[in-house]
Amino acid sequence: MSNVLNVSPSPHVRSKLSTGQVMYDVVLALIPATVVGIYHFGLHAALIILTSIVSAVLSEFVFDYIAKKENTIKDGSAVVTGLLLALCLPAGVPLYIPFIGAVFAIIIVKSLFGGLGKNVMNPALAARCFLLISFGTTMTSYAVNGISGATPLADMAGGTAVSVVKMAFGFTNGVIGCSTLALFIGGMYLWVVGGITIEIPAATILSFVAFMGIFGGKGFSLNYLMGQLFAGGVIMAAFFMATDPVSSPVTSKGQVIYGVIVGVLAGLFRVLGSSADSVSYAVIMSNLFTPMIDEFIIPKPYAFRSGAQTDNTINVKNDEKSSIIPVPVIVLGAIAIIAGLLLSSVYETTKETIEQQNIAKNMESYKAVMPDAETFENDETMTAAVDALNGEVYGTDFGNVLINSVVAGKDSSGNTVGYVVSVSSKDGFDGQITLSAGISLDGTLNGIAFTELNETAGMGMRADEDEFKGQFVGRTASKFTLNKAGGSTADDEINSISGASITSGAVVNAVNAALDFVAANAQ
Amino acid sequence: MSGKTFRGGIHPDEHKELARNAALTVYEPQGDLVFPVSQHIGKPAKPIVKKGDAVLVGQTIAEADGFVSAPIICSVSGKVKAVEKRLTAGGKSVESIVVENDGKYETVEGFGKETDYTKLTKDEIIEKVRNAGIVGMGGAGFPTSVKLNPKNHDEIRHIIANGSECEPYICCDDQLMRTHAEDIVAGMKVVLSMFPQAEGVVVIEDNKPEAIDAMRKAIAGDDRFRLIQAETKYPQGGERSIIKVVSGIDIKSTMLPADAGCIVDNVGTFNAIYNAVCKNIPLVQRAVTVSGDAIANPSNFMVRIGTIQQELLEAAGGYKSEPQKVLSGGPMMGIAMSSVEVPLQKGNNAITALVEDGAVLAIEQMTACIRCGRCNRSCPMGLVPQLMQESLNRKDYDAFENKYYGLECIQCGSCTYVCPAKRPLMQLFKQAKSEILSRRAKK
Repeated sequence: MSNVLNVSPSPHVRSKLSTGQVMYDVVLALIPATVVGIYHFGLHAALIILTSIVSAVLSEFVFDYIAKKENTIKDGSAVVTGLLLALCLPAGVPLYIPFIGAVFAIIIVKSLFGGLGKNVMNPALAARCFLLISFGTTMTSYAVNGISGATPLADMAGGTAVSVVKMAFGFTNGVIGCSTLALFIGGMYLWVVGGITIEIPAATILSFVAFMGIFGGKGFSLNYLMGQLFAGGVIMAAFFMATDPVSSPVTSKGQVIYGVIVGVLAGLFRVLGSSADSVSYAVIMSNLFTPMIDEFIIPKPYAFRSGAQTDNTINVKNDEKSSIIPVPVIVLGAIAIIAGLLLSSVYETTKETIEQQNIAKNMESYKAVMPDAETFENDETMTAAVDALNGEVYGTDFGNVLINSVVAGKDSSGNTVGYVVSVSSKDGFDGQITLSAGISLDGTLNGIAFTELNETAGMGMRADEDEFKGQFVGRTASKFTLNKAGGSTADDEINSISGASITSGAVVNAVNAALDFVAANAQ
Repeated sequence: MSGKTFRGGIHPDEHKELARNAALTVYEPQGDLVFPVSQHIGKPAKPIVKKGDAVLVGQTIAEADGFVSAPIICSVSGKVKAVEKRLTAGGKSVESIVVENDGKYETVEGFGKETDYTKLTKDEIIEKVRNAGIVGMGGAGFPTSVKLNPKNHDEIRHIIANGSECEPYICCDDQLMRTHAEDIVAGMKVVLSMFPQAEGVVVIEDNKPEAIDAMRKAIAGDDRFRLIQAETKYPQGGERSIIKVVSGIDIKSTMLPADAGCIVDNVGTFNAIYNAVCKNIPLVQRAVTVSGDAIANPSNFMVRIGTIQQELLEAAGGYKSEPQKVLSGGPMMGIAMSSVEVPLQKGNNAITALVEDGAVLAIEQMTACIRCGRCNRSCPMGLVPQLMQESLNRKDYDAFENKYYGLECIQCGSCTYVCPAKRPLMQLFKQAKSEILSRRAKK
């Protein structure tokens, strides 16, 4: 019994929980989303994740080495950053994207601010925003196995209904970690093991849903709100990004306020701004509020709180004033609201201009397809017929075709000379084709003009060249047929653009639909 | 069934299984006994014996100096060998009376004489408690006679016997309640006789079913008593936690338990009150747990105060593996001893020998604070250790004291225990508190 005994202040035991374990729990919570992502998007997704994690860890190692700091990679935070970054990248990005992102996250966002615990923003999300700004096209092309398509959010913006179930399982176009259900399960796990508190996700989600319900323009429709909630990384941000303890407030009340800021900003940006990335920007902007919140939202000890019983007299009189929301919070809130109003007014003003430009563009195309007309006016019969379609596919013979609008062309003396039909086909090779077709009263096609054409350059895009669209000028037929071989001179045949029969077919169908509609409804 | 509790708190590994069923056995000292004159909060006692004097069991060998002080009672018979400075468990050298034990245990006159407490006045009871040298036996060591004489005597509503024993490893109160339940309740009745308007409340954590049963039996049939089965959670035994559980009142650092209408004493203290008032036996012995993962046979002993702690370690079979740390008390709030050649004092409830030193491991594993907030959630006082720490890192004592109420910290160590980054939070707070208090004293 002669060994030297240690002497130190109490406590002499510590919980087994270490920073490494805290980080490990986050990784564990992300496993479901990672697995679903790799299953859905394939090997390349796995490579992105690997590149991101390895780059993050190496960046930290190299930085610590150069800065002669203690090596901190063992705390596991770089792994978490790398994984989080990878999960919010599109699955098709080249591998230099996760590399650049991870280096930016670790070196610029974290290490230069003083390392773990000192970073102002969430490194992974700040890096994502950096990549979005620097590599906009790459970062927003959600191609899967070479086939691109719209993300659910883009679909919703275009007015198309989305499958919430598919979004839950992650079988949609989006980032690698887009399985909402997997993320939610991970988030719940993290909550149960104490890795996060529920305040931030709950406040974020509730305030976001409330905001979208009130300002989203679709009311409190369950499918719409679920769709909005499941899309664009809201769940990922609410459980994994906004909850990053380093860049979020430490007190319960502060976390609720912060969560509401995240949710409202995300909603604001989604309604008024570029929808896909609203949440990312909302979180990193909210991160900046954290020091302010922690400065002013400080809970009092239990004995000092209003309502606390601190003596044994029956009629408790508390000498503490009830806590009020500090002035800076009101000021900040006011600034946020004013900024929001300014943003929306700018949008409203520009919206008008954009609409006017659209009208002018339409007029131009009307003129092009109906040179005889001086003015174009609304025709009650035609408009009623269009409204009767209720936005549904027109007819059965024209594919996925929509009649958008019909106007009557009038000559200088006010007599109707024909109709201009705006018609869209969704059967284009790369999305929707919209064209205006000018049809005289006698059924002669005066010509067509494209108002929306996003086909492949050198292929489908050649529809806008006279060689193809000139074929429609001055022709009279109740229905045109596409000749894929070419060289036809038949009255009712249109020669296809070589190598772009899908585009050509869509255009012919659209024109046929317009002819059919006018023939059916003209008086 | 989960019992009543306070907010915050932690669940450290209990390790009670090591000693919880080790029967409370009497250990008689082998070597000399050492009685430091300062075993309580307040002024040290003044020695009234000198080298060569013969002393008896129950003899006052140092008398109380002032109101907040307590006398020292000799626990053996024999001869005063020296009055000199000796090392104590707290690491300080304190004036001590060293007594050579003659092994006869001859007692002073009247020792053990039965007395009917109902015939005593309030002042006579307080006098007996004071002369018996009784101080808080849970560790704080506040003179009990002072506690029993609050300024607001008529406002006292709860006489609380603290049997929580929330520190890991320690089981001596558990064993004492199992074996001395009647005596403890008798001690509470003595105190209740002074406060007829008050109720007696026994608080025990729900991990001690045998003690709960024993105490329930002892209070059965007396409607002045109730027993609260509290959730097993550290620091349930803290004075403010237990007051919260019993009365719902949150007290501040500037308040006394009496301000909340409570008198809180450890179950061991009530046992000592019973002995002093009803049996004329002053505080000469106490229950002690010797446990820890380095101890061969974890044990509970009834020990004469003044016994050298090393003897107790040997009585428990010595070390089965080399300890890095030996604590006076438990691992959460105990004091690390540099040597075990120190006497057992009135407030020492345990000796805990640990193979691994969590504090050393903490230094090895320390990382930057990740602001996870676990410390804030663990604080039983509702403080924000994370922000308190940040204020101290920038030496902002003003913010620590006034913005974050740092002086309300009870130094329970919960924040430090849960911190995954292994930051030395409580140590920082302790330092800051003494710094602030000493600055205040200078003014």
